[in-house]
Amino acid sequence: MFDRFDIFFVQQLVNGFSLGLVYALVAIGFTLIFGVLNVVNFAHGEVYMLGAYAGLLALLFLAPPWAALLLIALAAGIVAGVTLERVAFKPFRRFRDEASLKSKAMRESTLLSSLAVSIIVRESMEKTFGADMQPIPRAYANALQEPILFGELAVASGQLAILAAAVVMFIALQAILYRTRVGLSIRAVAANPLGAQYVGVNVDRTVIATFAIGSGMGAVAGILIGLYQGTIFPAMGFAPGVKAFVAMVMGGLNSIPGAVICAVVLGVSEAVATEFFSQGWADLVAYLFLVATLVFFPTGLLGAGRDRV
Amino acid sequence: MPLAVAAFVFVLLPLGLSLAGSGYLFRLAVVTLIFAILALSMQLITGVAGLLSLGHAAIYGVGAYTAAILATRLGLDAALTIPLSGLVSGLVGIALALPTMRLVSIYFAVATLGLGEMIYVTLLNWVSFTKGPLGIGAIPPLRPLGIDLSGPLATYLFVAVITAFAAVVVHRCAHSYYGNALRAVREDDQCADAMGLNVVRLKIEVFAIACFLAGLAGALWAHTTGYVNPADFRFAESILILAMVVVGGLGSVPGAIIGAALLLLLPEALRAVGEVRILMVGAVMFLCILFLPKGLFGEVSALDLARRQFGAAWQPERGLGWR
Repeated sequence: MFDRFDIFFVQQLVNGFSLGLVYALVAIGFTLIFGVLNVVNFAHGEVYMLGAYAGLLALLFLAPPWAALLLIALAAGIVAGVTLERVAFKPFRRFRDEASLKSKAMRESTLLSSLAVSIIVRESMEKTFGADMQPIPRAYANALQEPILFGELAVASGQLAILAAAVVMFIALQAILYRTRVGLSIRAVAANPLGAQYVGVNVDRTVIATFAIGSGMGAVAGILIGLYQGTIFPAMGFAPGVKAFVAMVMGGLNSIPGAVICAVVLGVSEAVATEFFSQGWADLVAYLFLVATLVFFPTGLLGAGRDRV
Repeated sequence: MPLAVAAFVFVLLPLGLSLAGSGYLFRLAVVTLIFAILALSMQLITGVAGLLSLGHAAIYGVGAYTAAILATRLGLDAALTIPLSGLVSGLVGIALALPTMRLVSIYFAVATLGLGEMIYVTLLNWVSFTKGPLGIGAIPPLRPLGIDLSGPLATYLFVAVITAFAAVVVHRCAHSYYGNALRAVREDDQCADAMGLNVVRLKIEVFAIACFLAGLAGALWAHTTGYVNPADFRFAESILILAMVVVGGLGSVPGAIIGAALLLLLPEALRAVGEVRILMVGAVMFLCILFLPKGLFGEVSALDLARRQFGAAWQPERGLGWR
């Protein structure tokens, strides 16, 4: 039925799909924070990296079971996210009126401060642990690389774990957003921070909750992907961070389902591009998508539309 | 004041450096001047016109690679490669600006980040043209029109002259009616549009001027270093240039130069502590945004200084302002 080329191509699509899920895992937290604060969190990639390191240290010293490992990464991510919010975002929300909440100056100063914090965190990690990739204990790395065969297709167990994590996170996030009071206040602040404040929502606490949820998810993504790909190093957050950003822009900025779909599209297109070009040129795909989306579909492919001023 | 600065840059500093007789100090001074050009050009787009560009290092890289390729493949003279690099970078800037100019604030920043990374990926992978990750070596030193400027003092003076040229260009763009129009675009582009300014054209013009200057800086880098590599023109360098502008003060022309000098010389002074350059950049940038949001030499003080020193517009007997 399939000749060899076809099965190889389908295999590439499967790999691209799992790559897309990797981007989606990062994009979920990114989009959540952007949706609420309307500012880009350049340090999200660093939270992802910190989650991976926290998990790795736990592995080396405690060798916990899988569930505990993910919980440790989640906790590290929540701590990192809340600290990040306190350090890089809170000081710039000192004015409460509508004009300054929406002002360009506030958006740009938080953009720059999160960028500065991300540089500091990444460089300190480099000074502490070295810039090289960390060796990963054999048992854990192998557990994620075990091939599972579906007919002629081989899927690594890590790819299934990432799929499961993406599905669980997506459902958990939707449940939090649409079934809990915290979710209600997050949606209220995202829609209108001042209005939310008028009806008694504690904006400050809501923002912290958003950072905690988004960063926790980013950190779990970090440890899973780091272990699966075997790449845990201080600059590991940059590439997925940029790709997640592209997915977010393509998905219409504040739509989490849109970001997830576009992340998968992006991953599959990159995998297909490696069929035709070398790996180096395939990196162009994401940036081409980004620029093309910004230029031709300024409201995103799946967005509800938001003006870009 | 301008005379004092000129005397310091052209007489006192080279005199002191010659007395110290150290090639390392001369090299440091040249690199600082090159980054001062970059910071000045970034100041024009980011500080004065309010377009946050995260891909400036890539434009600088285009300039450096243009000079490197023209000088090594075609054996062109430095008197030709430097202006040509500026022109090529300016044209690339216009080509990048045309589709992205209708984006505002963060969307423009991200688009420039994407375009910058595209340029980097191209420099890295187009091996037949750019030699890829190996970089281009053996770029001839500065010998414009057969005059040998490859000695440390002559190179320094040549780079200083071009930096002065860049400073004058940026000064004339920023402290004039043209600069006021750019500031109006920065504060509120819809309002500026309604007042009859051609916003898109202004943005493209200023972007082209800044890219031209960045291209000059790139050519100087290629000729003074003798070697270019894609890794020198990545996102991290864009952030370094941005940090210089932010630390110096957004919208302030002297601030850009102060920021460039501070962020290059401070890490060098701290070299004994260890290789902490990028960490310092991050820390200085963060503390600056937090405690000195206007920068070390804020826009208001800079405009005040420009008024006092060059204030034609405020001396009625000389007519009104610069056109």
